[in-house]
Amino acid sequence: MFRSTSSSAGRFFLGLGLGVIASALPMLASSAATGWEIVHDESRLGFEATQQGGRFEGRFEDFRADMRFSADDLAMSRFDVTVATGSINTGSSQRDSNLPDAEWFDTDAFPEAYYVTREIRATTDGYEAVGDLTIRDNTHEVVLPFTWQTEGDRAEMNGAVTIDRVRFGVGQGEWRDPSVAGHEVKVVVDLTLER
Amino acid sequence: MKIRNTRDGWGAGAQLLHWLIAAGIATAMLLGWIMVNLPNSATKFELYALHKSLGITILALVLLRIVWRWINMVPDMPGTLSPREQKLAGAGHMALYALMLLMPLSGYVLNSAANFPLNVFGLVQIPNLTPESETLAEVASVMHLTFFWVLAAVLVAHIGAALRHHFVLHDDVLRRMLPVRRR
Ligand code: HEM
Repeated sequence: MFRSTSSSAGRFFLGLGLGVIASALPMLASSAATGWEIVHDESRLGFEATQQGGRFEGRFEDFRADMRFSADDLAMSRFDVTVATGSINTGSSQRDSNLPDAEWFDTDAFPEAYYVTREIRATTDGYEAVGDLTIRDNTHEVVLPFTWQTEGDRAEMNGAVTIDRVRFGVGQGEWRDPSVAGHEVKVVVDLTLER
Repeated sequence: MKIRNTRDGWGAGAQLLHWLIAAGIATAMLLGWIMVNLPNSATKFELYALHKSLGITILALVLLRIVWRWINMVPDMPGTLSPREQKLAGAGHMALYALMLLMPLSGYVLNSAANFPLNVFGLVQIPNLTPESETLAEVASVMHLTFFWVLAAVLVAHIGAALRHHFVLHDDVLRRMLPVRRR
């Protein structure tokens, strides 16, 4: 028991041992890149799009991600995101009632969309993730620029990237026309994470 | 012709607003009728966007028109009209002002309650008037259609009366609203 190591030598060795472990911890952690949990109440996977030339916003309520990120170990950092396409919410019941349809997300056939990074690299104003975005089984490379701020055991990640919905087969047939809904959709990622 | 109204005639300002709004409303009614009966297509959605933009423009012009009427004198009704006819004409014109407001307003509410964005002619996005509500959208949709029928009926009477004055009674009523010399 510690209480029996009442000698000053005992306290010294205990202190030394803890010190060694403490200084080794960051090295251990960085070699695997830190795993982060999304704080869903403070996070948003949103997007901005246009309908008949007017802007509107929406979000996916349900998504999960395996997030590993360390600024000093980008090689081992990696995001693996899964989005429930049926959880889309644009604040308009009329619009939202169409989005699960076969012409849009076809949520019965494709209940999930994925974003899996292949590389995360530093840029002049932050980082960028190079990954594959899969919607409706259409996979295209998407480079997501983002910033990452770690403070203690919490982190903020903010990123945005504009994608072309038509490349992913979202909005087909009569919905393909850009006057109905613009082809460009800005995906906005605002995450709060904890380790 | 003067810009402002005079005791016995409408000025250029009032005439311009009258005919701009008349052309706008006729086009909006026609567009509305055609677009709701089209199957889903890019054209249909383009017509919707055009209809809404035009409707909002009309709303702005109608507000301007009401202000302009307020700060101008209103010409006397021609003495050839009996007091009963003058009353009827006055009531008809009040109904027209009310419908010119209610028609675009119900459309704007309908669009707002559906929480659809509204970008006027691709130039400026205007905010929605109401929170999203399916019930309100349905009510506004019924109102929009009802106002359309009431407006159509009042317009038939309005245009019929103007033509009667011109071709049957041979008075100046229609000419007062046209940029032509009086008899
Ligand atoms: C003077 C102005 C306007 C006129 C004369 C007009 C006339 C019409 C007409 C005739 C229809 C077809 C009605 C039906 O069959 O259901 C219609 C439909 C419609 N209008 Fe207008 N409108 C006007 C302004 C507006 C404005 C300002 C907006 C939106 C901002 C608007 C939005 C709509 C919509 C969304 C429909 C489809 C109706 C529905 O889905 O129930 N309108 N309008």
